[in-house]
Amino acid sequence: MSLFYSTLKYLVVTLWSIFVIAPFLWALTTSFKDFQSVTNGATYIPWVDFEPTLDGWRSLFKSPAQGGVAIVEPFFNSVIVTAAGSGISIILGTLAAYSLSRFTFRVGPIRNGDITFFFISQRIMPPVVLSIPFFIMLGKLGLLDTLFGLILVYVVLLMPIAVWIMVDFFNKVPIEIDETALIDGCNPYQAFFKVVLPNSVPGIIVAGMFCMIFGWTDFFFAFILTFTEVQLLPVAIVALNSSITPWWSLSAAALVSVAPLVVVAFIVERYLSKGNLSGALK
Amino acid sequence: MAKITLQNIAHSYNPGAAEKIYALNSFDMTWVDGGRYAILGPSGCGKSTMLNIMSGIVTPSEGKLLFDGVDVTNVSTSERNIAQVFQFPVIYGTMTVEQNLAFPLVCRNYDKPVIAAKVQEVAEALSLEKLLKKSASKLTADQKQLISLGRGLVRDDVSAVLMDEPLTVIDPDLKFRLRRQLKEINHKYSSTLIYVTHDQNEAMTFAENIIVMDEGNIVQVGTPAELFERPKTTFVGYFIGAPAMNFIDCEAYENKTVRLGDVMITTDTDMSSVKSKRLKLGIRAEYIKIADKMGTNRIPVSIQRVEDLGSHKLVTAVFNGLNLKVKADRDKLILSEDVYLELPPENCCLYVDDTLI
Repeated sequence: MSLFYSTLKYLVVTLWSIFVIAPFLWALTTSFKDFQSVTNGATYIPWVDFEPTLDGWRSLFKSPAQGGVAIVEPFFNSVIVTAAGSGISIILGTLAAYSLSRFTFRVGPIRNGDITFFFISQRIMPPVVLSIPFFIMLGKLGLLDTLFGLILVYVVLLMPIAVWIMVDFFNKVPIEIDETALIDGCNPYQAFFKVVLPNSVPGIIVAGMFCMIFGWTDFFFAFILTFTEVQLLPVAIVALNSSITPWWSLSAAALVSVAPLVVVAFIVERYLSKGNLSGALK
Repeated sequence: MAKITLQNIAHSYNPGAAEKIYALNSFDMTWVDGGRYAILGPSGCGKSTMLNIMSGIVTPSEGKLLFDGVDVTNVSTSERNIAQVFQFPVIYGTMTVEQNLAFPLVCRNYDKPVIAAKVQEVAEALSLEKLLKKSASKLTADQKQLISLGRGLVRDDVSAVLMDEPLTVIDPDLKFRLRRQLKEINHKYSSTLIYVTHDQNEAMTFAENIIVMDEGNIVQVGTPAELFERPKTTFVGYFIGAPAMNFIDCEAYENKTVRLGDVMITTDTDMSSVKSKRLKLGIRAEYIKIADKMGTNRIPVSIQRVEDLGSHKLVTAVFNGLNLKVKADRDKLILSEDVYLELPPENCCLYVDDTLI
C-alpha cells in the first residue's frame, strides 16, 4: 500500500513538475532559435533540430534602431519601481500593522479589525475602478509617465498586502515580549525597534516577497499610467508582440523578467516554512 | 529596593461604562522591602492585574501606587525599576543568552565593564555561565525561564521582582530546585519578591506571606500557618489545604457552644457579639480524631470510603448527609460501624456569613 502510495505521489509530482517546467524549457530553447527554426515547424533539441544562436539574447541589449528590443532600461525601471514601492510599503505597513496589533483604536463604531479590513479592501476592488482616479490625480500632480508617480501608485497597491501579513504576524508575537522590553527599560519605540522588529524579520521577508511579486508583475497600472518616457518591463515585453513577433527576443525577455522572482523565491523559500515563522518568537 | 504601597487601588477594564466591572476592587496593601510574598487565588481573581499595576503595564483606574512614599502611579514602566517574569518564558530570540541578560543594563546605558561583571554574576547564580554565548532561542523552556528571571536580577536597583506563575512550564523536579534557588536569591539580593500562583503548595513553600484573592478582592493576608489554622473566610478554608477545610452548618447555642443536629460542640470562639444563629463550623481534616465511642465534642458518623494515600489514610465520613474528610494515620484501623469524630475545641473555627468570628 505504501509503495503504491509513494509511487503515485512521485508520479503526480513528476507530471506536475513537467507541466510547470515545460513552458520555461520551451521559452529557453526558443530564445536560442533563429527565424527559420521558429517558423518552419516545431523544433526541440539544440544542435540536433536547430543550430542555437545568441541573436535573441543580443537583441535585448540593442536599441530598436540597431534591430534590438532594448529592454535594459525597462528592466531597471521595473527594479526601481518595485524596490521603492515594496520598500516604502513594508516600512509604512509594518509600522501600521504594529500599531493595529498593539493599540486599541476606536472611532465611533470602527475598531482595529475594521481598520485592518479597510486596508485589505483596497485589494478587493477591481484595479480598473482605480485607474481613472489614479490617472486624473497623477495628471494633476504632473506625475504621469514618471517613475515617482508609479512608485506612489505601487505603494497604494502594495501596502495593504504588507499590513495584512504583518498584522497577522504581530498578533502571533506575544505582547509579553513588548511588556518585558518596557520593564527592561526600553521606551515603546525602543521596544519596537530593538526587540519586536528583529523578531519579525521572517514576517517582513514574507510580506516583502509578496509585495515584490505583485509589484514586479503588475502590467495594468504600468500600462495605463506611462506612455513614452517611462516603460516598465511587463509593458516592454508585451510591446514586442507586433505583426512579426520576434519570438526569440520575446522568449529571452520573458526569461529575464522571471529570473529575479525565481532568485527571490529561492532566497526566501526557507522563511516560508511555518517552523521558521513561529520559531523566531519565543 | 523599595517599600511598595498600594493606596485604594482599584481597576476596571471598562472605566467609561455606566456600570463598571472591576477586575480589582479597592484595597490598601504594603509590601515590605525585601519580603517574599505569594499572591494566591483562582484564575481570573485579579492576581495578574495587581502585578501589572505594580509594574506599570496597567494603569489603575483608581488609587495611588507609592514606591518609598513617592507617587509612581503615572510613571512609565521603564522608569519604575521593576522586574517581571511572566508565565511563559519571554526571551529575545535574536540575541544570545549573554545579550539577553545584559539587555536591561544596555537599555539603561551602563558601562561595558559593569555590564560584563553583573552578567557574569547573575549567570553564575542561575548556573547559566556555560550557555552565555548560545542563542537564547535554542534553549529549553526552563533555561529560557531562568533567563527571564536573570534579566530581572541583573539590575541591583530593582524595587521588586514580580513573578506571574513563572514555574508553570517547568517540570516538577526542577520546579522544586528553582523555588529553592529563588529563596536563596531573595536572601542574597534581599529583593522584594512577589509571586503569583494558583498552586497553594507553591505559595506555601515559597512565601513568608500569602495574599489570598478571590473575585477581585483580597480575602486574607497571612503566613502559611495563619492561612491554614485560621482561614478568615470559608473561601480561604476551601482554597487552602488539601483536602479543603470541612464545613458543617450549625446553630449558636451558648457562648462558646454550637449545636450540630443533636450534638453539642464546644469551641474556643467567643460568640457573644454574634447576632445570627446560623453559623458554619470549619475544621481541618488534619485535626479531626477518629474515636470508637461517643464522648465530649464527638459526632457520630458512618464511613463511606477509606483511601490509602501512602503517607496517610484519607477517610470520607458522612454526618447528617454531609461528607467530611479526615486524615488518619496509615496504621489506624478504621471500623465501618460505631465510628465517632472528635472535633478539638481549639481547632474549630466558626463562621457567620462565611466570615470568621
